[in-house]
Amino acid sequence: MIQLSNVTAKYPGGEGIELVNLTVDPGEFVYLVGPSGAGKSSVLKVIYWDIIPQSGHVIVERFNSLNFKKSQIPYLRRKLGIIFQDFKLLMDRNVFENVAFTLRVTNRRRSEIKRKVLRVLAEVGLSHKRDKMPYQLSGGEQQRVAIARALINEPIVLLADEPTGNLDPEASDDIMQLIERINSKGTAILMATHDYRLVRAHRRKIVKIEKGMTRN
Amino acid sequence: MSSGFLYSIGEGLKGLRRAKFSSFVSIVTIFVSLVIIGLFVVFIFNVNLILNQIRSRMELELFIDNSFTNEQVEKLRSQILNVAGVDSVRYISKALAADIFKQEVGQDIFEILDDNPLPPSFQVRLKPEFQSSLKIEKISSQLTTLEGITEVLYRRDIIAILERYFRLFLMMSLGVGLMLAIGSVFLIYNTIKLIIFSRRSVIDIMKLVGATRAFIRRPFMVEGIIQGIIGGGLAALFFNLLSRIIKNNIPELIVGTQTVYALLIILGGLFGVVGSAFALRKFLKF
Repeated sequence: MIQLSNVTAKYPGGEGIELVNLTVDPGEFVYLVGPSGAGKSSVLKVIYWDIIPQSGHVIVERFNSLNFKKSQIPYLRRKLGIIFQDFKLLMDRNVFENVAFTLRVTNRRRSEIKRKVLRVLAEVGLSHKRDKMPYQLSGGEQQRVAIARALINEPIVLLADEPTGNLDPEASDDIMQLIERINSKGTAILMATHDYRLVRAHRRKIVKIEKGMTRN
Repeated sequence: MSSGFLYSIGEGLKGLRRAKFSSFVSIVTIFVSLVIIGLFVVFIFNVNLILNQIRSRMELELFIDNSFTNEQVEKLRSQILNVAGVDSVRYISKALAADIFKQEVGQDIFEILDDNPLPPSFQVRLKPEFQSSLKIEKISSQLTTLEGITEVLYRRDIIAILERYFRLFLMMSLGVGLMLAIGSVFLIYNTIKLIIFSRRSVIDIMKLVGATRAFIRRPFMVEGIIQGIIGGGLAALFFNLLSRIIKNNIPELIVGTQTVYALLIILGGLFGVVGSAFALRKFLKF
Protein backbone atom coordinates (compact mmCIF):
# COMPACT_ATOMS: atom_id res chain seq x y z
CA MET A 1 0.00 0.00 0.00
CA ILE A 2 2.81 2.38 0.99
CA GLN A 3 6.26 1.57 -0.21
CA LEU A 4 9.46 3.61 0.03
CA SER A 5 12.36 2.11 -1.92
CA ASN A 6 15.85 3.59 -1.49
CA VAL A 7 14.40 7.04 -1.06
CA THR A 8 16.84 9.92 -0.85
CA ALA A 9 15.49 13.40 -0.26
CA LYS A 10 17.89 16.09 0.86
CA TYR A 11 17.32 19.73 1.72
CA PRO A 12 19.75 22.29 0.33
CA GLY A 13 21.60 22.27 3.70
CA GLY A 14 22.41 18.57 3.29
CA GLU A 15 19.91 17.32 5.88
CA GLY A 16 17.16 14.94 4.97
CA ILE A 17 16.86 11.22 4.38
CA GLU A 18 19.02 8.80 2.49
CA LEU A 19 18.25 5.38 1.04
CA VAL A 20 15.17 4.94 3.18
CA ASN A 21 13.19 1.71 2.80
CA LEU A 22 9.82 1.25 4.39
CA THR A 23 6.53 -0.50 3.74
CA VAL A 24 3.17 -0.09 5.38
CA ASP A 25 0.61 -2.76 4.55
CA PRO A 26 -3.15 -2.27 4.79
CA GLY A 27 -4.29 -2.16 8.41
CA GLU A 28 -0.73 -2.26 9.73
CA PHE A 29 0.57 -0.16 12.65
CA VAL A 30 4.15 1.00 12.17
CA TYR A 31 6.26 3.11 14.51
CA LEU A 32 8.92 5.25 12.99
CA VAL A 33 11.29 5.89 15.86
CA GLY A 34 14.44 7.89 16.21
CA PRO A 35 15.90 10.90 17.97
CA SER A 36 14.89 14.46 17.11
CA GLY A 37 16.31 15.54 13.77
CA ALA A 38 16.82 11.95 12.57
CA GLY A 39 14.52 12.49 9.58
CA LYS A 40 11.20 11.07 10.81
CA SER A 41 9.18 14.05 9.62
CA SER A 42 10.99 13.96 6.28
CA VAL A 43 9.86 10.37 5.77
CA LEU A 44 6.26 11.42 6.35
CA LYS A 45 6.75 14.41 4.07
CA VAL A 46 7.90 12.29 1.13
CA ILE A 47 4.78 10.17 1.63
CA TYR A 48 2.42 13.14 1.41
CA TRP A 49 4.50 14.74 -1.33
CA ASP A 50 5.63 17.74 0.60
CA ILE A 51 9.12 16.75 -0.48
CA ILE A 52 9.82 14.91 -3.71
CA PRO A 53 12.68 12.37 -3.57
CA GLN A 54 15.82 13.00 -5.59
CA SER A 55 16.22 9.26 -6.02
CA GLY A 56 14.31 6.10 -5.21
CA HIS A 57 10.55 6.09 -5.28
CA VAL A 58 7.52 6.38 -3.06
CA ILE A 59 4.37 4.49 -3.90
CA VAL A 60 1.08 5.26 -2.18
CA GLU A 61 -1.62 3.14 -3.78
CA ARG A 62 -1.88 4.33 -7.39
CA PHE A 63 0.40 7.34 -6.79
CA ASN A 64 4.07 6.89 -7.67
CA SER A 65 6.59 9.66 -7.01
CA LEU A 66 8.34 8.76 -10.26
CA ASN A 67 5.27 10.08 -12.08
CA PHE A 68 5.02 13.12 -9.84
CA LYS A 69 2.69 15.90 -10.99
CA LYS A 70 1.94 18.95 -8.87
CA SER A 71 -1.70 18.77 -9.86
CA GLN A 72 -1.95 15.29 -8.30
CA ILE A 73 -0.88 16.40 -4.79
CA PRO A 74 -4.40 17.26 -3.54
CA TYR A 75 -5.75 13.92 -4.73
CA LEU A 76 -2.97 11.97 -3.00
CA ARG A 77 -3.55 13.87 0.23
CA ARG A 78 -7.25 13.05 0.18
CA LYS A 79 -6.23 9.42 0.58
CA LEU A 80 -4.20 10.22 3.69
CA GLY A 81 -4.99 11.47 7.17
CA ILE A 82 -2.24 13.57 8.69
CA ILE A 83 -1.84 14.78 12.27
CA PHE A 84 0.90 16.80 13.89
CA GLN A 85 2.35 17.64 17.26
CA ASP A 86 0.99 21.20 17.01
CA PHE A 87 -2.51 20.07 15.86
CA LYS A 88 -2.69 22.69 13.04
CA LEU A 89 -6.28 23.70 13.67
CA LEU A 90 -7.94 26.79 12.25
CA MET A 91 -8.18 28.96 15.33
CA ASP A 92 -10.99 31.13 13.94
CA ARG A 93 -13.41 28.24 13.39
CA ASN A 94 -15.19 26.00 15.82
CA VAL A 95 -14.66 22.24 16.17
CA PHE A 96 -17.40 21.33 13.70
CA GLU A 97 -16.05 23.70 11.04
CA ASN A 98 -12.47 22.52 11.53
CA VAL A 99 -13.52 18.98 10.74
CA ALA A 100 -16.03 19.91 8.03
CA PHE A 101 -13.33 21.93 6.28
CA THR A 102 -11.77 18.78 4.83
CA LEU A 103 -15.03 17.83 3.14
CA ARG A 104 -15.78 21.35 1.98
CA VAL A 105 -12.59 21.42 -0.06
CA THR A 106 -13.86 18.40 -1.95
CA ASN A 107 -17.24 19.95 -2.76
CA ARG A 108 -19.40 17.58 -0.70
CA ARG A 109 -23.07 18.23 -0.11
CA ARG A 110 -24.08 20.03 3.04
CA SER A 111 -26.19 17.14 4.31
CA GLU A 112 -23.37 14.67 3.77
CA ILE A 113 -20.89 16.95 5.53
CA LYS A 114 -23.15 17.27 8.56
CA ARG A 115 -23.74 13.54 8.82
CA LYS A 116 -20.09 12.60 8.46
CA VAL A 117 -18.75 15.28 10.79
CA LEU A 118 -21.16 14.34 13.56
CA ARG A 119 -20.27 10.68 13.16
CA VAL A 120 -16.52 11.23 13.29
CA LEU A 121 -16.84 13.64 16.22
CA ALA A 122 -18.73 10.88 18.07
CA GLU A 123 -15.89 8.50 17.25
CA VAL A 124 -13.30 10.77 18.89
CA GLY A 125 -15.66 11.61 21.75
CA LEU A 126 -16.16 15.28 21.02
CA SER A 127 -19.81 15.51 19.92
CA HIS A 128 -20.66 17.67 22.90
CA LYS A 129 -17.90 20.17 22.09
CA ARG A 130 -18.71 20.68 18.42
CA ASP A 131 -19.50 24.39 18.90
CA LYS A 132 -16.38 25.19 20.92
CA MET A 133 -13.45 27.11 19.51
CA PRO A 134 -10.04 25.37 19.55
CA TYR A 135 -8.69 27.71 22.24
CA GLN A 136 -11.49 26.58 24.55
CA LEU A 137 -10.22 22.98 24.41
CA SER A 138 -7.40 21.16 26.20
CA GLY A 139 -4.37 19.94 24.23
CA GLY A 140 -5.70 16.38 24.15
CA GLU A 141 -9.06 17.57 22.89
CA GLN A 142 -7.43 19.67 20.18
CA GLN A 143 -5.52 16.61 18.99
CA ARG A 144 -8.82 14.70 18.91
CA VAL A 145 -10.24 17.39 16.62
CA ALA A 146 -7.17 17.01 14.39
CA ILE A 147 -7.67 13.23 14.36
CA ALA A 148 -11.35 13.66 13.48
CA ARG A 149 -10.34 15.92 10.62
CA ALA A 150 -7.79 13.36 9.44
CA LEU A 151 -10.30 10.50 9.60
CA ILE A 152 -13.24 12.11 7.91
CA ASN A 153 -12.08 11.22 4.41
CA GLU A 154 -11.71 7.59 5.48
CA PRO A 155 -7.97 7.55 4.71
CA ILE A 156 -6.03 4.41 3.89
CA VAL A 157 -3.42 5.45 6.42
CA LEU A 158 -3.11 7.90 9.29
CA LEU A 159 0.29 9.62 9.26
CA ALA A 160 1.00 10.84 12.78
CA ASP A 161 4.00 13.11 13.37
CA GLU A 162 4.74 13.07 17.12
CA PRO A 163 1.02 13.25 17.92
CA THR A 164 1.59 13.16 21.67
CA GLY A 165 4.60 15.49 21.68
CA ASN A 166 2.69 18.41 23.17
CA LEU A 167 0.55 16.41 25.60
CA ASP A 168 0.88 15.36 29.24
CA PRO A 169 1.21 11.58 29.88
CA GLU A 170 -2.48 11.13 30.67
CA ALA A 171 -3.63 12.90 27.52
CA SER A 172 -0.98 11.01 25.54
CA ASP A 173 -2.39 7.69 26.71
CA ASP A 174 -5.89 8.80 25.73
CA ILE A 175 -4.70 9.73 22.24
CA MET A 176 -2.77 6.45 21.90
CA GLN A 177 -5.86 4.50 22.85
CA LEU A 178 -7.85 6.41 20.27
CA ILE A 179 -5.21 5.73 17.58
CA GLU A 180 -5.19 2.03 18.52
CA ARG A 181 -8.96 1.94 18.22
CA ILE A 182 -8.80 3.57 14.79
CA ASN A 183 -6.23 0.97 13.75
CA SER A 184 -8.38 -1.84 15.02
CA LYS A 185 -11.11 -0.71 12.64
CA GLY A 186 -8.76 -1.22 9.68
CA THR A 187 -6.98 2.10 9.12
CA ALA A 188 -3.22 1.69 8.81
CA ILE A 189 -1.08 3.89 11.07
CA LEU A 190 2.40 5.26 10.50
CA MET A 191 3.45 7.09 13.62
CA ALA A 192 6.69 9.02 14.01
CA THR A 193 7.81 9.36 17.62
CA HIS A 194 10.88 9.69 19.78
CA ASP A 195 8.93 8.57 22.85
CA TYR A 196 10.19 5.00 23.52
CA ARG A 197 7.81 4.78 26.49
CA LEU A 198 4.88 4.73 24.04
CA VAL A 199 6.57 2.20 21.78
CA ARG A 200 7.16 -0.14 24.68
CA ALA A 201 3.61 0.24 25.98
CA HIS A 202 2.01 -0.44 22.60
CA ARG A 203 4.12 -3.07 20.87
CA ARG A 204 3.97 -2.92 17.07
CA LYS A 205 6.20 -3.03 14.01
CA ILE A 206 9.13 -0.64 14.51
CA VAL A 207 11.28 1.08 11.92
CA LYS A 208 14.25 2.94 13.33
CA ILE A 209 15.69 5.97 11.66
CA GLU A 210 19.02 7.53 12.54
CA LYS A 211 20.86 10.31 10.74
CA GLY A 212 18.38 10.08 7.90
CA MET A 213 18.80 6.34 7.32
CA THR A 214 16.44 3.52 8.22
CA ARG A 215 17.36 0.38 10.15
CA ASN A 216 14.96 -2.46 10.66
CA MET B 1 -23.32 26.85 -9.73
CA SER B 2 -21.37 24.32 -7.70
CA SER B 3 -21.50 24.29 -3.93
CA GLY B 4 -17.72 24.76 -3.94
CA PHE B 5 -18.04 28.03 -5.80
CA LEU B 6 -20.69 29.33 -3.42
CA TYR B 7 -18.52 28.18 -0.53
CA SER B 8 -15.60 30.21 -1.95
CA ILE B 9 -17.75 33.34 -2.15
CA GLY B 10 -18.95 32.75 1.40
CA GLU B 11 -15.40 32.20 2.60
CA GLY B 12 -14.25 35.35 0.79
CA LEU B 13 -16.93 37.40 2.55
CA LYS B 14 -16.11 35.79 5.89
CA GLY B 15 -12.43 36.52 5.26
CA LEU B 16 -13.25 40.22 5.00
CA ARG B 17 -14.98 40.10 8.38
CA ARG B 18 -12.34 37.92 10.04
CA ALA B 19 -9.46 40.13 8.96
CA LYS B 20 -11.15 43.51 9.38
CA PHE B 21 -7.97 45.49 9.85
CA SER B 22 -6.05 44.02 6.94
CA SER B 23 -9.12 44.37 4.70
CA PHE B 24 -9.31 48.00 5.75
CA VAL B 25 -5.62 48.52 4.91
CA SER B 26 -6.10 46.85 1.55
CA ILE B 27 -9.16 48.96 0.71
CA VAL B 28 -7.40 52.18 1.74
CA THR B 29 -4.35 51.27 -0.35
CA ILE B 30 -6.47 50.69 -3.42
CA PHE B 31 -8.47 53.85 -2.73
CA VAL B 32 -5.36 56.03 -2.36
CA SER B 33 -3.73 54.53 -5.48
CA LEU B 34 -6.85 55.13 -7.55
CA VAL B 35 -7.23 58.70 -6.28
CA ILE B 36 -3.62 59.48 -7.23
CA ILE B 37 -3.97 57.90 -10.66
CA GLY B 38 -7.39 59.51 -11.09
CA LEU B 39 -6.15 63.00 -10.20
CA PHE B 40 -3.37 62.58 -12.70
CA VAL B 41 -5.76 61.42 -15.43
CA VAL B 42 -8.12 64.33 -14.70
CA PHE B 43 -5.21 66.73 -15.00
CA ILE B 44 -4.07 65.29 -18.33
CA PHE B 45 -7.62 65.15 -19.63
CA ASN B 46 -8.27 68.81 -18.87
CA VAL B 47 -4.96 70.03 -20.27
CA ASN B 48 -5.73 68.02 -23.39
CA LEU B 49 -9.18 69.58 -23.53
CA ILE B 50 -7.76 73.11 -23.34
CA LEU B 51 -5.12 72.38 -25.98
CA ASN B 52 -7.74 70.95 -28.31
CA GLN B 53 -9.91 73.97 -27.82
CA ILE B 54 -7.03 76.20 -28.81
CA ARG B 55 -6.35 74.05 -31.83
CA SER B 56 -9.94 73.97 -32.94
CA ARG B 57 -10.04 77.77 -32.88
CA MET B 58 -7.24 77.86 -35.42
CA GLU B 59 -8.50 79.23 -38.70
CA LEU B 60 -7.16 79.69 -42.17
CA GLU B 61 -7.88 83.01 -43.75
CA LEU B 62 -8.35 82.88 -47.54
CA PHE B 63 -8.33 86.22 -49.31
CA ILE B 64 -10.39 86.46 -52.46
CA ASP B 65 -9.85 88.38 -55.62
CA ASN B 66 -11.61 91.76 -55.24
CA SER B 67 -13.19 91.45 -58.63
CA PHE B 68 -15.04 88.22 -57.94
CA THR B 69 -18.80 88.28 -58.33
CA ASN B 70 -21.17 86.74 -55.80
CA GLU B 71 -21.71 83.76 -58.07
CA GLN B 72 -18.01 83.19 -58.39
CA VAL B 73 -17.65 83.46 -54.61
CA GLU B 74 -20.35 80.82 -54.11
CA LYS B 75 -18.64 78.54 -56.57
CA LEU B 76 -15.36 79.06 -54.78
CA ARG B 77 -17.02 78.23 -51.44
CA SER B 78 -18.18 74.88 -52.71
CA GLN B 79 -14.75 74.20 -54.16
CA ILE B 80 -13.17 74.92 -50.76
CA LEU B 81 -15.69 72.69 -48.97
CA ASN B 82 -14.68 69.88 -51.31
CA VAL B 83 -11.07 70.02 -50.16
CA ALA B 84 -10.36 67.10 -47.84
CA GLY B 85 -10.09 68.19 -44.21
CA VAL B 86 -12.18 71.36 -44.48
CA ASP B 87 -14.87 71.44 -41.82
CA SER B 88 -16.62 74.78 -42.33
CA VAL B 89 -16.30 77.95 -44.35
CA ARG B 90 -17.47 81.40 -43.36
CA TYR B 91 -17.62 84.20 -45.90
CA ILE B 92 -16.41 87.61 -44.78
CA SER B 93 -17.61 90.19 -47.28
CA LYS B 94 -15.86 93.51 -47.77
CA ALA B 95 -18.50 95.22 -45.64
CA LEU B 96 -18.16 92.67 -42.84
CA ALA B 97 -14.36 93.01 -43.00
CA ALA B 98 -14.81 96.74 -42.50
CA ASP B 99 -17.04 96.09 -39.48
CA ILE B 100 -14.46 93.74 -37.98
CA PHE B 101 -11.80 96.36 -38.67
CA LYS B 102 -13.91 98.91 -36.77
CA GLN B 103 -14.34 96.53 -33.84
CA GLU B 104 -10.66 95.66 -33.67
CA VAL B 105 -9.12 99.04 -34.43
CA GLY B 106 -11.87 101.20 -32.98
CA GLN B 107 -12.05 103.48 -36.01
CA ASP B 108 -14.16 103.43 -39.12
CA ILE B 109 -12.04 102.67 -42.17
CA PHE B 110 -14.03 105.20 -44.25
CA GLU B 111 -12.87 107.95 -41.94
CA ILE B 112 -9.29 107.21 -42.97
CA LEU B 113 -9.72 106.21 -46.56
CA ASP B 114 -12.31 106.97 -49.21
CA ASP B 115 -12.50 103.45 -50.34
CA ASN B 116 -12.64 100.07 -48.54
CA PRO B 117 -9.36 98.33 -49.38
CA LEU B 118 -10.13 95.24 -47.33
CA PRO B 119 -10.56 92.22 -49.59
CA PRO B 120 -13.36 89.73 -49.03
CA SER B 121 -12.22 86.49 -47.45
CA PHE B 122 -13.19 83.04 -46.27
CA GLN B 123 -12.52 81.82 -42.74
CA VAL B 124 -11.88 78.13 -43.00
CA ARG B 125 -11.99 75.72 -40.05
CA LEU B 126 -10.48 72.28 -40.34
CA LYS B 127 -11.65 68.94 -39.02
CA PRO B 128 -9.85 67.97 -35.77
CA GLU B 129 -7.88 65.18 -37.41
CA PHE B 130 -6.43 67.66 -39.95
CA GLN B 131 -5.11 70.11 -37.39
CA SER B 132 -1.47 69.12 -37.42
CA SER B 133 1.04 71.51 -38.95
CA LEU B 134 1.92 69.11 -41.77
CA LYS B 135 -1.66 68.64 -42.83
CA ILE B 136 -2.47 72.33 -42.54
CA GLU B 137 0.50 73.06 -44.77
CA LYS B 138 -0.79 70.63 -47.36
CA ILE B 139 -4.35 71.96 -47.28
CA SER B 140 -3.05 75.51 -47.43
CA SER B 141 -1.05 74.88 -50.59
CA GLN B 142 -4.02 73.08 -52.10
CA LEU B 143 -6.26 76.06 -51.39
CA THR B 144 -3.74 78.48 -52.84
CA THR B 145 -4.12 76.83 -56.24
CA LEU B 146 -7.85 77.57 -56.42
CA GLU B 147 -8.72 80.30 -58.84
CA GLY B 148 -9.62 83.52 -57.10
CA ILE B 149 -7.65 82.89 -53.92
CA THR B 150 -4.99 85.51 -53.63
CA GLU B 151 -3.46 84.52 -50.30
CA VAL B 152 -3.79 81.97 -47.52
CA LEU B 153 -2.87 83.03 -43.97
CA TYR B 154 -2.69 81.11 -40.71
CA ARG B 155 -0.68 81.17 -37.47
CA ARG B 156 2.09 78.74 -38.32
CA ASP B 157 4.07 79.67 -35.20
CA ILE B 158 1.31 78.94 -32.69
CA ILE B 159 0.51 75.60 -34.27
CA ALA B 160 4.14 74.56 -34.24
CA ILE B 161 4.63 75.57 -30.59
CA LEU B 162 1.43 73.84 -29.54
CA GLU B 163 2.48 70.70 -31.29
CA ARG B 164 5.95 70.64 -29.86
CA TYR B 165 4.78 71.20 -26.28
CA PHE B 166 1.85 68.90 -26.58
CA ARG B 167 4.06 66.06 -27.71
CA LEU B 168 6.48 66.71 -24.85
CA PHE B 169 3.60 66.95 -22.41
CA LEU B 170 2.08 63.72 -23.69
CA MET B 171 5.36 61.85 -23.38
CA MET B 172 5.98 63.16 -19.89
CA SER B 173 2.50 62.30 -18.75
CA LEU B 174 2.77 58.82 -20.24
CA GLY B 175 5.99 58.29 -18.30
CA VAL B 176 4.60 59.64 -15.04
CA GLY B 177 1.34 57.74 -15.54
CA LEU B 178 3.16 54.49 -16.12
CA MET B 179 5.27 55.02 -13.02
CA LEU B 180 2.18 55.79 -10.97
CA ALA B 181 0.38 52.70 -12.25
CA ILE B 182 3.37 50.43 -11.59
CA GLY B 183 3.84 51.98 -8.15
CA SER B 184 0.18 51.46 -7.30
CA VAL B 185 0.12 47.87 -8.45
CA PHE B 186 3.29 47.18 -6.48
CA LEU B 187 1.87 48.83 -3.37
CA ILE B 188 -1.35 46.85 -3.64
CA TYR B 189 0.53 43.64 -4.36
CA ASN B 190 2.70 44.11 -1.29
CA THR B 191 -0.21 44.92 0.97
CA ILE B 192 -2.11 41.84 -0.17
CA LYS B 193 1.03 39.73 0.14
CA LEU B 194 1.44 40.77 3.76
CA ILE B 195 -2.20 39.97 4.42
CA ILE B 196 -1.92 36.54 2.83
CA PHE B 197 1.34 35.94 4.67
CA SER B 198 -0.51 36.47 7.93
CA ARG B 199 -2.93 33.75 6.87
CA ARG B 200 -0.45 31.26 5.48
CA SER B 201 -1.34 28.75 8.20
CA VAL B 202 -4.85 28.53 6.75
CA ILE B 203 -3.34 27.96 3.30
CA ASP B 204 -1.03 25.27 4.71
CA ILE B 205 -3.93 23.47 6.35
CA MET B 206 -5.97 23.71 3.15
CA LYS B 207 -3.10 22.13 1.22
CA LEU B 208 -2.75 19.43 3.84
CA VAL B 209 -6.35 18.28 3.63
CA GLY B 210 -6.26 18.03 -0.14
CA ALA B 211 -7.59 21.35 -1.40
CA THR B 212 -6.73 22.10 -5.00
CA ARG B 213 -4.89 25.29 -5.96
CA ALA B 214 -8.03 26.71 -7.52
CA PHE B 215 -10.01 26.02 -4.38
CA ILE B 216 -7.43 27.76 -2.16
CA ARG B 217 -7.17 30.73 -4.49
CA ARG B 218 -10.84 31.45 -4.93
CA PRO B 219 -11.73 32.90 -1.51
CA PHE B 220 -8.68 35.18 -1.66
CA MET B 221 -9.61 36.30 -5.16
CA VAL B 222 -13.17 37.00 -4.03
CA GLU B 223 -11.76 39.03 -1.15
CA GLY B 224 -9.43 40.88 -3.51
CA ILE B 225 -12.25 41.75 -5.91
CA ILE B 226 -14.52 42.95 -3.12
CA GLN B 227 -11.78 45.03 -1.52
CA GLY B 228 -10.92 46.47 -4.94
CA ILE B 229 -14.52 47.33 -5.75
CA ILE B 230 -14.98 49.01 -2.37
CA GLY B 231 -11.70 50.93 -2.84
CA GLY B 232 -12.78 51.89 -6.37
CA GLY B 233 -16.24 52.87 -5.15
CA LEU B 234 -14.72 55.14 -2.51
CA ALA B 235 -12.45 56.68 -5.14
CA ALA B 236 -15.51 57.25 -7.37
CA LEU B 237 -17.24 58.93 -4.43
CA PHE B 238 -14.18 61.10 -3.87
CA PHE B 239 -14.20 62.27 -7.50
CA ASN B 240 -17.94 62.83 -7.41
CA LEU B 241 -17.53 65.14 -4.41
CA LEU B 242 -14.51 66.84 -5.97
CA SER B 243 -16.47 67.31 -9.17
CA ARG B 244 -19.31 69.01 -7.30
CA ILE B 245 -16.93 71.34 -5.50
CA ILE B 246 -15.02 72.24 -8.65
CA LYS B 247 -18.13 72.67 -10.77
CA ASN B 248 -19.19 75.56 -8.55
CA ASN B 249 -15.86 77.32 -8.95
CA ILE B 250 -14.40 76.36 -12.33
CA PRO B 251 -17.28 74.97 -14.40
CA GLU B 252 -15.06 74.43 -17.49
CA LEU B 253 -13.07 71.67 -15.80
CA ILE B 254 -14.29 68.12 -16.16
CA VAL B 255 -13.52 66.01 -13.08
CA GLY B 256 -16.03 63.21 -12.85
CA THR B 257 -18.31 61.53 -15.33
CA GLN B 258 -20.30 58.32 -15.10
CA THR B 259 -17.65 56.64 -17.25
CA VAL B 260 -14.89 57.75 -14.88
CA TYR B 261 -16.77 56.35 -11.87
CA ALA B 262 -17.40 53.06 -13.61
CA LEU B 263 -13.76 52.84 -14.68
CA LEU B 264 -12.54 53.52 -11.15
CA ILE B 265 -14.68 50.72 -9.78
CA ILE B 266 -13.62 48.30 -12.52
CA LEU B 267 -9.96 49.27 -12.11
CA GLY B 268 -10.26 48.81 -8.34
CA GLY B 269 -11.66 45.30 -8.79
CA LEU B 270 -8.94 44.53 -11.31
CA PHE B 271 -6.20 45.79 -8.98
CA GLY B 272 -7.63 43.68 -6.17
CA VAL B 273 -7.87 40.49 -8.16
CA VAL B 274 -4.53 40.85 -9.97
CA GLY B 275 -2.78 41.80 -6.71
CA SER B 276 -4.25 38.74 -4.98
CA ALA B 277 -3.35 36.43 -7.85
CA PHE B 278 0.28 37.55 -7.86
CA ALA B 279 0.60 37.53 -4.10
CA LEU B 280 -0.90 34.03 -3.92
CA ARG B 281 1.57 32.60 -6.40
CA LYS B 282 4.24 32.91 -3.75
CA PHE B 283 2.31 30.85 -1.21
CA LEU B 284 0.87 28.27 -3.54
CA LYS B 285 4.01 26.68 -4.83
CA PHE B 286 2.81 23.15 -5.06
